[in-house]
Amino acid sequence: MDKVIIYAAVNTKIRALEKDFLKREDYLNMIREKSVVDVARYLKENTSYGKLLREVNIDNISRRDLEDILKNNMIKNMDKLIYYFRDDYKEFIRSLYIKYEIEDLKILSRSIFNGKDLETIEKPLSFLGKYSRVDPKILFKSKTNRDLIYSLKGSKFYEFLIPLVNGKRENRFRFEMALDMGYFSIIQSRKLKISREDRKILKKWEGLLADLYNIQWVYRGKKFYRLSPEELLNYTINYGDKLTFRERKAMCYAKNLEELYKMITNTIYGFLFKKEEISRDIYMERRINRFIYYKLKALDRQFSLSIIQTIDFVWSFEFEIRDIISILEAIRYDIPSEEARKFLVKVA
Amino acid sequence: MSVEKMKIVGVIGKKNLLSRVLRLVVLNGSVHTINALVRVNSSDFFLPPSEKNIEVLEELPFLKPCSSKKDFTKDEEVVKSLLSLFDIKPQVREEYLGQDYNYDDFMKQLSDIYDRVYSTADEIEEKMRSINKKREYINSLKYLSRFDFDIGQLICIKYLAFRLIKISRENYDKLKRNYENIPAVVLKLAVESNNVIVVSITPVILEEILEKIFRSLNYTLLPLPVEFTGTAAKVIEELNSAIDKEEKVIESLKKSLEDYKVKYIIELKKGYSRLEIEKKIEELKSDMANGDKLFFMFGFVPVSNVAKLKSELEAQFGGDVIVLVDDVDKGGSNLHPPTKLSNMKLFKPFETLVKMYGTPAYYEKDPTIFFGLTYMLLFGAMFGDVGQGLILLFAGLILELVLKKGSLGGVLSRIGLSSTVFGFIYGSVFGSEKIIPPLIIRPMANINYILITGVVFGIALILSAYIYNIINSGIEKNVERGLFSRNGAAGLIFYLILLYTIFRVVVTHSSISPAFIYIMIGLLLLMVFKQPLANKLIHADKLYQKSPANYYIEEGFGVIETLLSIISNTLSFIRVGAFALNHVGLYVAFATMAKMMTTSWGSLAILVSGNIIIIALEGLIVFIQALRLEYYELFTKYFRGDGIEYVPAKMEFISSTGKRINLFHKKNIFCNIGNIYLYNIINLKWGS
Repeated sequence: MDKVIIYAAVNTKIRALEKDFLKREDYLNMIREKSVVDVARYLKENTSYGKLLREVNIDNISRRDLEDILKNNMIKNMDKLIYYFRDDYKEFIRSLYIKYEIEDLKILSRSIFNGKDLETIEKPLSFLGKYSRVDPKILFKSKTNRDLIYSLKGSKFYEFLIPLVNGKRENRFRFEMALDMGYFSIIQSRKLKISREDRKILKKWEGLLADLYNIQWVYRGKKFYRLSPEELLNYTINYGDKLTFRERKAMCYAKNLEELYKMITNTIYGFLFKKEEISRDIYMERRINRFIYYKLKALDRQFSLSIIQTIDFVWSFEFEIRDIISILEAIRYDIPSEEARKFLVKVA
Repeated sequence: MSVEKMKIVGVIGKKNLLSRVLRLVVLNGSVHTINALVRVNSSDFFLPPSEKNIEVLEELPFLKPCSSKKDFTKDEEVVKSLLSLFDIKPQVREEYLGQDYNYDDFMKQLSDIYDRVYSTADEIEEKMRSINKKREYINSLKYLSRFDFDIGQLICIKYLAFRLIKISRENYDKLKRNYENIPAVVLKLAVESNNVIVVSITPVILEEILEKIFRSLNYTLLPLPVEFTGTAAKVIEELNSAIDKEEKVIESLKKSLEDYKVKYIIELKKGYSRLEIEKKIEELKSDMANGDKLFFMFGFVPVSNVAKLKSELEAQFGGDVIVLVDDVDKGGSNLHPPTKLSNMKLFKPFETLVKMYGTPAYYEKDPTIFFGLTYMLLFGAMFGDVGQGLILLFAGLILELVLKKGSLGGVLSRIGLSSTVFGFIYGSVFGSEKIIPPLIIRPMANINYILITGVVFGIALILSAYIYNIINSGIEKNVERGLFSRNGAAGLIFYLILLYTIFRVVVTHSSISPAFIYIMIGLLLLMVFKQPLANKLIHADKLYQKSPANYYIEEGFGVIETLLSIISNTLSFIRVGAFALNHVGLYVAFATMAKMMTTSWGSLAILVSGNIIIIALEGLIVFIQALRLEYYELFTKYFRGDGIEYVPAKMEFISSTGKRINLFHKKNIFCNIGNIYLYNIINLKWGS
């Protein structure tokens, strides 16, 4: 009964908002366009983004501007959903912003590290402050990573970043890893305030995510970063759905990539490695995302009045924006449409 | 009583006097500024040529808006930090503003003080930093305090690296589960909230590898002091005594700061007041215009304040400024004077309710008195009860006088009074009709009579609304609205004829002559053709403001609406009687329930709670219903409410006697003196 009270209204709202998502034909049509402006025009004239873009002059629009508009639209819709929840759930839904804010913080810190003028950052940093509640203007005033860390004081990220303040080398790497580790820690702690059923569902869902990301991390760590197995293990996420600690440890201590492949193909996550060498790397992220996308849909059907619908909505939105940006990048870099399709999540 | 008359005052002077003039204007607090360029370019602005005005006339064609925007962030920082450092409460006081001063010089003085003070403050901060570092060491050392070895020796060991670190519980768990692969000896010392304190000992050659591993666990190094020897406990003692010494130094430095405070306190207090008024002045500048050497400022000033303003300006600046005073021209200019309502104290709280609908335009007759009287009558008639009315009266008085919520409290007390009076008329005390006899009538006993009286009262109000509208339109010379519209003369005559017809047909059952019917149809036609007729009469350029087709369609439907709304508006007033009956009925329900109680305490409880519910529920409903009748039946007929509110440039400040005054209380002198007397007594007792 409690489920209905919490979820009936918001799930209905989500169904209503979902009708605004792009359809398969929209993606296929956009891939065939020739420039960023054409894609923007297509969005304006043929999709529900028309309302959003009505005031915008699309003749000179850049990829950055379009991305900013799309992201702000996502924020607006997420904020709408937050209104439907009570206090303890409100906090939980707000924490869905953490992932996107961390991405933006990483980009910001990279730009600071590279000494770039913060006004000209390639990507729009629309999610800054949405979870941490820090004023983005303060963040933008940082001249060094140290300033950035201090300006996050009072937010949940601070406790994970403060040990880095006195560090010497490799601060950038540590900064990003600290944020990521912090993320998984925070989402574990916020689970305590929601209903038992939702917690069970989330355990399964987040365990799945942790497994996928851990496998990806260990693979990349071994292949590109040459980290010691201890470090690899320390940077893994400390829980999982199907992978136990022992299996994770074994993967970190695998002597070479061949051994790693064998270990992984023995799990249900073997699909990440089915094709040949090159495609393993480039499309691994896409494979992971598609897996997540379909898994969310399956969980959606299985648990019809739960937190999954909201999570599914947010992730679907993220994938949609990612796909639009992928299309824009493919156009900019002159990638043929057949190739570009292989990077899309929502379209096979 | 009504809208205060305004005059347009212009002040022109040399640009270097600008700040001082504006300061005076803000302190005077009676000028509602308007855009100077708009004023100068309007058709009724005229400056007679004379020797004094030559310069002004030269500059008139070349005026530009005032564009400089001063940045106050630095000044604000200086003032804010000085005030917080010395713990001075920020207050705007009159005594610091009255003098003539140069703002920039004064601010420079303040920043000199700031620099001097802050070098001492910096020293204090450095000492505090050093103390904090020592405290950190003590914090780290306390985990080692139960051991007996010499800390100094341990830290300087040549081939082993000794570290004291803090990691989160989660990460400690990871460390423990992979311990066999970690190239160090790790000992857990303590657990603190979410973190674990450990000691790691490793050969120096492996330190780098260990560092990477610990970094991946996001560790924090707990610092240990290197220059001390002895056991942890001993070192802690030495550190504590060093801290004591440094604290004494800080004390003496703080004392020297105190001396600064004593020396400069007046200047610092002045700083806040002067900064605030400077910011206010900067806001005003956006309405002003600049010529080559002169500035131009214009604003509306109520006639009663003009003389004072003029004399203050001339006293301070003499011939260096030119003060122009012009009348507000009724017809042509596009400048709309702001509306300042000044009503008697009895009706003042109703201004809020009128303003909720809209601020009266300058040329309208102020409806506040009419509104106040009729509202009190309506509320009283619908709520009439002696006891409940007295409760409202007292509640209102308490709100008004004690809690200082003037408008809500004022309205409540007045309608409470009216309810009490009507309570005597109905003979109802706390709902019970057995205590006193009615002066005129009991509602429940004469239901039809009450309902019809309500309607008759409503008809009287509606007729006055029509007359009000005709008068207002006459003042504005709006022929269309006054003569031919459905709220004007045509509508009035139609209404009267309609009433007469209904009266004859329904009450006396006689017939009426067909002439009346023809007249009514003729009036309806007049209403349809109001716009072209009016424009023809006043010889305007266009007959129709929009296309004729649109106009006739609109007016056609307008006629139907007129017929419907005339009936419904009149009948709407039945609710006055209905709510009076409702009030009694609700009490009857509670009385019945009280009779059903077996104990007398129970009955009393029911009656008391019943009265509370009736006051709250009925009070709210009647309040809103009366407001609705006023707004919808009456205001829509005559009140436009599109005026601008009078907002003079002024600052709230504390005067030298310690009470807060707004220089804008130009009320009844007697009232003021009485209030000032009371306020002073109260403030002297409770301090400022």
